Amino acid sequence: MKKFIAIISLFSLLLASCEKNNEVTPLKTLGKATVTFDAVFGTQDFSINKDFMSGSKTYNFTKFRYWVTNLILVDTKGEEYNVPNSYFLIEETAAVPVQDGAFTYPATKRETIQLNDIPIGDYQAIKFSIGIESKYNDNLSLQIGELSQLNGMTNVSWMWMTSYIFSSIGGKVTDGNATKNILVETGLNTNYKSVLLNLPTPLLVGSNKNAAIILTTDVSKAIDGIDLIANPVVGASKANLMAQVATNYTSKVFAVKSNQ
Amino acid sequence: MKHQIANRWSAFILLSAILITTSSCKKEEVVIADEILHPVKLEVPANFPKFVDDPDNPLTKEGIELGRLLFYDTRLSGNNTLSCGSCHRQAIAFSDGIALNNNGVSGKTLPRHSPTLINLAWTTNGLFWDGGSTNLESQAFAPITNADEMHQNLMELEFELKQVPDYVKRFKQVFNVDVKSAAIVKALAQFQRSLVSADSRYDQYIRKENNISLSTEELMGLNIVNEKCKRCHSGELFTDNNYHNNGLDSNFSNADHEGLYQGRYRVTFNPSDLGKFKTPTLRNVLLTAPYMHDGRFKTIDEVLTHYGNGIKPSATTDHLLYQNQGKLGISLSATEKSAIVAFLKTLTDEKFITNKKFKNPF
Repeated sequence: MKKFIAIISLFSLLLASCEKNNEVTPLKTLGKATVTFDAVFGTQDFSINKDFMSGSKTYNFTKFRYWVTNLILVDTKGEEYNVPNSYFLIEETAAVPVQDGAFTYPATKRETIQLNDIPIGDYQAIKFSIGIESKYNDNLSLQIGELSQLNGMTNVSWMWMTSYIFSSIGGKVTDGNATKNILVETGLNTNYKSVLLNLPTPLLVGSNKNAAIILTTDVSKAIDGIDLIANPVVGASKANLMAQVATNYTSKVFAVKSNQ
Repeated sequence: MKHQIANRWSAFILLSAILITTSSCKKEEVVIADEILHPVKLEVPANFPKFVDDPDNPLTKEGIELGRLLFYDTRLSGNNTLSCGSCHRQAIAFSDGIALNNNGVSGKTLPRHSPTLINLAWTTNGLFWDGGSTNLESQAFAPITNADEMHQNLMELEFELKQVPDYVKRFKQVFNVDVKSAAIVKALAQFQRSLVSADSRYDQYIRKENNISLSTEELMGLNIVNEKCKRCHSGELFTDNNYHNNGLDSNFSNADHEGLYQGRYRVTFNPSDLGKFKTPTLRNVLLTAPYMHDGRFKTIDEVLTHYGNGIKPSATTDHLLYQNQGKLGISLSATEKSAIVAFLKTLTDEKFITNKKFKNPF
């Protein structure tokens, strides 16, 4: 029996390794879509190294990064399509020193996810989660999608506790004479939360058309309710504040701007 | 009959596979027999609990062997001088013999004592003294990358190992990937799960092997341990794999170093976990001095003295330690202490510390 299984595995391995050589024609029932996470700060377009006013505070950010995972498209019949391997790092960041500066992750702006092989149909809602579910968060050796130890969304102090940083906002805040360097992060398993957004009109995914959803991601809402002068570092030792930030991500950070 | 059918099927499929191979991708080489992995069923002694293998990283002979090479390879450290084996020495049951060592790349003294690596295949309730890591795979990233330990850059590590053709071949064979950090930690975890210590005199006595008997004093010690220590150092693993405040300190307000001195609280943020640390196994305990999460007790006698009259009270001090007519402490006479030490000696496993399969291959 073992031999049998071994041979089957061998067979599938060979098939898999041959794929490159075969011209696979795409099935007509599949289409493409992009999902864009357009970062904003309130009504303004978000950018790093730029001042944003909010009440008496002025913020200037160096990074805004978060994991979008387990993307689901819900069609007008209510049926769900789970996008496979959907673990995407969405970010606008200056260069990130990784492992206390042992190497550097380059400055990056990435707001769009390309989805291929979506079953054609009319979709009325999009669901996704912010962060990494416990299976992967607790075990760094299980890698899927874009999960990696090399992009600065894990670090030693986090590894001593759990593994991935789900979301990270860094920069500084000034209020009157006070200036603080800020770092607002989530990453506990309980911070893993999903977002459901209904689309104003159905998204039509066809075989000849690249459908697009554009969302806004409001950084000001992510830190809403947190006094970053009093608590400039929201991390593992401030579990309550982390929970509040995680709830902000699930309840008010994301909105649908348009879809076509 | 079934077997025959299976054989016929396999012959058919093999034939098709060969046909496809030869027709569509002639460049591919047929996988040769010795590259097939050999699953390992961990030899679980009769007196041990069941071992449940990790379906995401099942033990194989080749995986364990790759893990052993990596465990002893100094390429895993930033300055190529330290391996895992530098602070986990087989001769002393994979402990380091130092309270708080400063052997790391930075030369700074570490805030916690190197734990032993014994029967980790059953350590399923968290690793590190506070249980901060959930599995051996993720755990390995911390000592490898920490600036005060091996301080290796993961990109550099992958690059360095890729220069060694034998490693490239082994990673391909075992995990079917190029040299990748996720596979490095998987192999290390496999090797560590193979570190089973179950052949002490005590084990042979319990399993009625080789006509081993324990002396009157050793048996007396066994009885005292059963009565007074076993609720934490429980079962045949001699640990409940749980976390207790054994009264080393009474004040846990120092939150420095991300709560390092607060015990399991830094992981759970539950006030009832303040000052709790993991129960270490008593197996090979006489080889693994000094003791406690910070190595503060130099000898086993100091440990027994602590449990006798050194336990400090606090809100989270374990209620199991109120053994002295409702007061803190485990009262032990000098004779009882000697008997306990005599018994603990029977938990030393010579085969474990000399087993060639666990040795440095370099």
